[in-house]
Amino acid sequence: MDSDVLMDHNTEFQLMQVAEFSNHEERVWHLAWNPTRPLLASCSSDKSVNLYHYDTTGKFEQATSISTGHSKTVRAVAWAPSGKTLATASFDSQVGIWEQEEPEEEGGAPGEWECTILEGHENECKCVAYSSSGTLLATCSRDKTVWVWEVQPDSEFECVGVLMEHTQDVKCVAWHPTEEILASASYDDTIRLYVDDPDEDWYAFQVLSGHESTVWSLAFSPCGKYLASASDDLTIRLWRRAAQFKWEPIGMLRGHDRTIFSVSWGLGNGDGENAGWLASTGSDGKINVWEMKAPENGTLDSKLIATLRDAHSVSDVNCVAWNPRPGLGDLLATAGDDCSVRVWRITGVA
Amino acid sequence: MQDVPVYNANPTVFAPSKPSKSSLLSAHSLWWDEELDVKAESEDEEIKPDEIFDLIRSITDPEHPLTLEQLAVVSSPQVAVSGNFVNVEFTPTVPHCGMSAIIGLSIRVRLLRSLPNRFKVDVRVKPGSHNSENSVNKQLNDKERVAAALENDSLIDVVEKCLSTAGRRGQTP
Repeated sequence: MDSDVLMDHNTEFQLMQVAEFSNHEERVWHLAWNPTRPLLASCSSDKSVNLYHYDTTGKFEQATSISTGHSKTVRAVAWAPSGKTLATASFDSQVGIWEQEEPEEEGGAPGEWECTILEGHENECKCVAYSSSGTLLATCSRDKTVWVWEVQPDSEFECVGVLMEHTQDVKCVAWHPTEEILASASYDDTIRLYVDDPDEDWYAFQVLSGHESTVWSLAFSPCGKYLASASDDLTIRLWRRAAQFKWEPIGMLRGHDRTIFSVSWGLGNGDGENAGWLASTGSDGKINVWEMKAPENGTLDSKLIATLRDAHSVSDVNCVAWNPRPGLGDLLATAGDDCSVRVWRITGVA
Repeated sequence: MQDVPVYNANPTVFAPSKPSKSSLLSAHSLWWDEELDVKAESEDEEIKPDEIFDLIRSITDPEHPLTLEQLAVVSSPQVAVSGNFVNVEFTPTVPHCGMSAIIGLSIRVRLLRSLPNRFKVDVRVKPGSHNSENSVNKQLNDKERVAAALENDSLIDVVEKCLSTAGRRGQTP
């Protein structure tokens, strides 16, 4: 496709499509870039997970498709920080933990993806996320709970907390990029923040209110000082860490005219005062990219630097994700109701 | 289903309006149900509110052996189309109707199966017509909840029963 035709020309940057995959048979819900290896994972209502490989020239190809064995939609995927383990969250209420068998001989082809199932949620599991150290896993569900699991050796998991703070479905969980702070977003319009009390259990230390409808997605800034939340109220809210256990609203972004399903906060291009690039997408089919700057005076400035309409033709776009690997921060992937996964590169307009 | 409370035991029944022209045509076809639906029409052709109404008027109410049109739950003026956006409003027969989510889900599934995928459909109860208006609307327009509902066997059974008559499009069986 000629991406240029779809571009709005009033921005400094543009999104050029570099790959498109239509191997899923149904709606693609979610994506996760492997943090250490050149792999991108996608999951779908077709109950499968696809893996795509890319090389140093930016050429993408499908590597494999995993039939997960989940009996319903695979709603979310997440890689462990090691890049070796993949977690899946399914509407069948289960969480899958996937590891690839070691090659039989040194240098040989790696083996099959093996699965361990985590049970506990009562109904649809909607999101899964690893903490930055990889020692904790969080899951959430329509059953209104957030579970924190401790990752033990040999694919053993122990539930160390069941958080029952939300009054409705929990749509998303996200970990702080360096500390063990967990955030969850819900159909009850709120965001909750949790930490582990060393003498007690995990507990919620703050409720972030302000959104006027379902909060669908959360993204911490790479520096860890900010949090972005995306909602059915058509806004993205920005929150700043004011003290160790205190977050406060610091701004609001508008730029979508239907539900915003996903936000991702990438490293950006490393300018001074740079707080990275924030990308958002949703039911209006649009991808927006904001350049975020955090000058010394404590404010957080945002500027829309690229926007792309009809990114998946007429379809909703369910997920947007920046590549987290060093030097690849200009790569963005999206997943849509058109059953496709697309990869984009953001480039300056000459 | 015998344990389900009856929300409106004696609903008012309304005489159905005449089928619109397009459904008269398709009613004579052997393929009147899904095949000759609006899906077959060309990509850019506009869809009229009447055609949307035709698709949903003969859905059976989950509580009564009557259609949504006969119960005046749906009507042609309650459908709005603007480009690729379709807005369907429906009126529960009583303000405490516990079946509203099922009715809305049936309307949504019917349109999901019949309309080309370029259409974005919003389904809402008529303002002021339901005690839990916001919560019904929120649920019906949350695509994740709708997707999960469609994978729930017992729920989809109820919806399929409501939809079994939808292909009549205002015709008597």
